[in-house]
Amino acid sequence: MAGITLRNLVKAYGRVRVVHGIDLDIGNHEFVVLVGPSGCGKSTTLRMIAGLEEITSGEIRIGGRLVNDLPPRKRNIAMVFQNYALYPHMTVRDNLGFGLKIAGQPKEVVAARVQEAADILGLAQLLDRTPAELSGGQRQRVAMGRAIVRHPDAFLFDEPLSNLDAKLRGQMRAEIKKLHQKVNNTVVYVTHDQVEAMTLADRIVIMRDGHIEQTGTPMEVFNRPANIFVAGFIGSPPMNQLPCSAEAGGLRLADGTVLPVPARLAGKVRPGAALILGVRPDDISPEGSGLLATGEGAMVRLTVDIAEPLGMESLLYSRLAGQEVQSKVFGPRLVSPGEVLDCRIALDRAHLFDAATGRSLEAA
Amino acid sequence: MARILTSRRAALTPLLLLLPAIATMLFVVALPLVFSLWTSFTPYRLTRPDTLYDVIGLRNYIRLMSDAAFWVAFGRTVLFLAIALNVEFLLGLGIALLINRITWGQRGLRTIMMFPMMFSPILVGFQFKFIFNDNIGILNNALQSLGLTDQAIPWLVDARLAMFSIIFAEVWMSTSVFAILLLAGLFAMPRDPLEAAKVDGCNAWQVFRHIMLPFLMPFAFIAMTIRSLDVARAYDIVAVMTGGGPAGRTELLWTLIARVGYDNARMGQANAMAYVSTLLSVLFTWYFFRKLVAARRYMGGAQ
Amino acid sequence: MTRDLRRQLKAAALWLTAFLLMVVMCVPGLWVVLSAFRPNREILAKPPVWLPEQLTLDNFAKIFGFGADQVAIPVAAYFWNSMVIALTSTVIALAIGTAGGYAFARFRFRFKNAVFLGLMLFRAVPGIALSLPVFILWSRLGLIDAQLGLIIVYVALNVPFTAWLIDGFFRQIPEQLSEAAQVDGCTRWQAFWRIEFPLARSGIAAAGVFAFLTSWNEFALASQLTRSTDSKTLPVGLMDFTAQFTIDWAGMCAMAVIIIVPALILTFLVQKHLISGLTFGGVKG
Ligand SMILES: Nc1ncnc2c1ncn2[C@@H]1O[C@H](COP(=O)(O)OP(=O)(O)OP(=O)(O)O)[C@@H](O)[C@H]1O
Ligand SMILES: [Mg+2]
Repeated sequence: MAGITLRNLVKAYGRVRVVHGIDLDIGNHEFVVLVGPSGCGKSTTLRMIAGLEEITSGEIRIGGRLVNDLPPRKRNIAMVFQNYALYPHMTVRDNLGFGLKIAGQPKEVVAARVQEAADILGLAQLLDRTPAELSGGQRQRVAMGRAIVRHPDAFLFDEPLSNLDAKLRGQMRAEIKKLHQKVNNTVVYVTHDQVEAMTLADRIVIMRDGHIEQTGTPMEVFNRPANIFVAGFIGSPPMNQLPCSAEAGGLRLADGTVLPVPARLAGKVRPGAALILGVRPDDISPEGSGLLATGEGAMVRLTVDIAEPLGMESLLYSRLAGQEVQSKVFGPRLVSPGEVLDCRIALDRAHLFDAATGRSLEAA
Repeated sequence: MARILTSRRAALTPLLLLLPAIATMLFVVALPLVFSLWTSFTPYRLTRPDTLYDVIGLRNYIRLMSDAAFWVAFGRTVLFLAIALNVEFLLGLGIALLINRITWGQRGLRTIMMFPMMFSPILVGFQFKFIFNDNIGILNNALQSLGLTDQAIPWLVDARLAMFSIIFAEVWMSTSVFAILLLAGLFAMPRDPLEAAKVDGCNAWQVFRHIMLPFLMPFAFIAMTIRSLDVARAYDIVAVMTGGGPAGRTELLWTLIARVGYDNARMGQANAMAYVSTLLSVLFTWYFFRKLVAARRYMGGAQ
Repeated sequence: MTRDLRRQLKAAALWLTAFLLMVVMCVPGLWVVLSAFRPNREILAKPPVWLPEQLTLDNFAKIFGFGADQVAIPVAAYFWNSMVIALTSTVIALAIGTAGGYAFARFRFRFKNAVFLGLMLFRAVPGIALSLPVFILWSRLGLIDAQLGLIIVYVALNVPFTAWLIDGFFRQIPEQLSEAAQVDGCTRWQAFWRIEFPLARSGIAAAGVFAFLTSWNEFALASQLTRSTDSKTLPVGLMDFTAQFTIDWAGMCAMAVIIIVPALILTFLVQKHLISGLTFGGVKG
């Protein structure tokens, strides 16, 4: 068991930098999820931790030990790959025991540890099959089993669930969570699925273009996004972003509507500043059908373009200040296109970002 | 410091792995080629070793330029290759399409199709020399028995017929390469585009022309590249079947080289010719390899 | 009804074409094989004897030097030379080609395409053109009429294509397998031998068969670099049956069978892998 520390970690392919000096401290037993859009360098970072990719500069420590120049096998980590990377010519049993065998463990120890992992993951019946004879979810389990038999210092997962269908993904997500609670290892988990990130992580690391944009617990990054990118990336449907300018009376939107400044941020708004108001769809709802009680928040009038009923709630697409905004109606209420609704905006949960830098005013 | 060392090592690994391959090729091919380039500037004769140091500049090449026999052989070689390869491609395509449609006994047909591939070219030469033999050959015997002709047809003596015979032998030997690779292409072809095209109203020919053929082209280029690596194997066939004769009427570049170099022992002159033939093969390989790379890139985009 | 009829006609036409095809593909070879089991007088008979009256092994006995009228052709020695040369050169070419193919499949490095193309272009040099300078150089090195001389040449002949094929086979194996093994505690070398090599084994065997066939069948170079029973191979030995004006067809056909049979067996053992290797290595860049 050990924490992982990244210091000013850089990766360049030739002259192209893809990871720009990342700093990250991952605690012992912590489940850290790296999220970000495709190509942002998540896999590269993970593979550098694993030792599969050489690092260009910086430092990686696992359990305090500098591992920069150690090959993967000396780092005592385990990795689960996106397409499982099970050895096709070996049975499940041999797949699970391979690492121990290579390490020269005696046969009985290998057998016992394989059995233990198989029991944890419910693979006991499948030990004599080859990977070709397994379903996607079973392969996934074997891949995880291969990781846990070795009692590694840390688990690395690279989008382990992306090859599964939606239902199985939900199931396996829960299993990974359970597994972590059981073996309580340090985990670094890469995904671009923010639901996975939110549900699994102790801490989320949001990356973009080789930089870390924000690090925090799921609730922190959801409730206090450090910048517009994080605000747009975390949360589904994404946060509405309305350009506005600060003036004495409040925030003036593009069409002249003026909304009050959220009380929480009152001291931080400079008059005249160009800002972006961020409001989650859950925080805009018609009077009486949202999270807000009458009298709370600010009122706006919206004309509905499209309504998507989802059962117990509906997602509305309407126009506000010349821009499409998404909002939600809670309760089984049918809304038809063209309907004009008086909506409440929960301003105390809204965010303000500097239009130029994209940074949240809260941080300043 | 350690990091620099490991990254150097990482960069060195592929070179170390390739070193034996490169060294072998340099020793067995490049070195002799340099040597033969040298001799092509000398009047070198095997029988007179001292001529090796007698530089005569481009005289061998100049002589070549004005050597009618050489140019005839050159032209004939190009013609031979053009005909043989096109026929092989078209036949191979036809066979692949045919076998692809036959469901019963397909495996057997496929196996039989590979039959000629394992024949030694020299054996193919003898085999067809045997079959085309005007006196005892099965072909003339069959034609005469069927009453199609009452005299022996001089397959290997008449200039045109001899050319036909060697091309036939060559095509027999090498069509399989095309057929097999194109068949593999047909097997690998995704169904969706074909069905989409049919739904879009393409007729059978249009589907073939616009969907199947482009998909098959990389496979055809693999076959062409493989073939281009040893087109000169045809030398074995011709050497046996006609030896370039009768009276030089089936002389190809390769038989001419052998004649000048070994029979007449004029190595310098032969090497100059050999350079021309090498250039021909290399250009050919290079051309098809480029085509293959281009087709591959385009396929990569489609997938 | 008519549509049914048309479909049946079409199927029949398809079959007829396939049948003709098989005849053209097989008859030349089969005729040679058949002739190998017939006495020479039957082969030369006029009018022709279509169906053999009796099959005989005399031709084989003759060329191996048994029986009454021997042919003084040391087929056994040629066979031995062919085997030794083809096998040795195949094993060496496989080792070199596997290393090269692995490098192409698994590493990025500068001039990769150039090296690959270079190997191919060297391979494209016509045997007869190469034989001239190799003949002269080998005479100086004492490699003429020696098995070693031919082995070296055949290794070079086979390395490029072997590397190409094996490159294709390694590419079919996901790189993650080796990475997983390395994370599991293997060195790269161990990961290769325990994971990648076993998975590529059948493909490598197919490449080996291809290399073997190339060496086994080669003539242009062998005919110039060999002289005697010390090194002459079967294809060169075939020439022994031709005299100035006559050819011993029966003996030749028997020898042809001896050349074909090992090639036949080997090819059919690996034909499936051969095709998959060729297409994969070629198509996926
Ligand atoms: N071998 C390489 N050579 C050059 N660039 C590379 C190489 N491998 C990856 N890259 C680049 O590095 C960047 C980061 O890649 P990486 O695989 O880490 O992305 P990712 O965040 O894992 O994306 P995804 O969610 O699609 O898996 C990408 O822009 C990619 O194009
Ligand atoms: Mg990735």
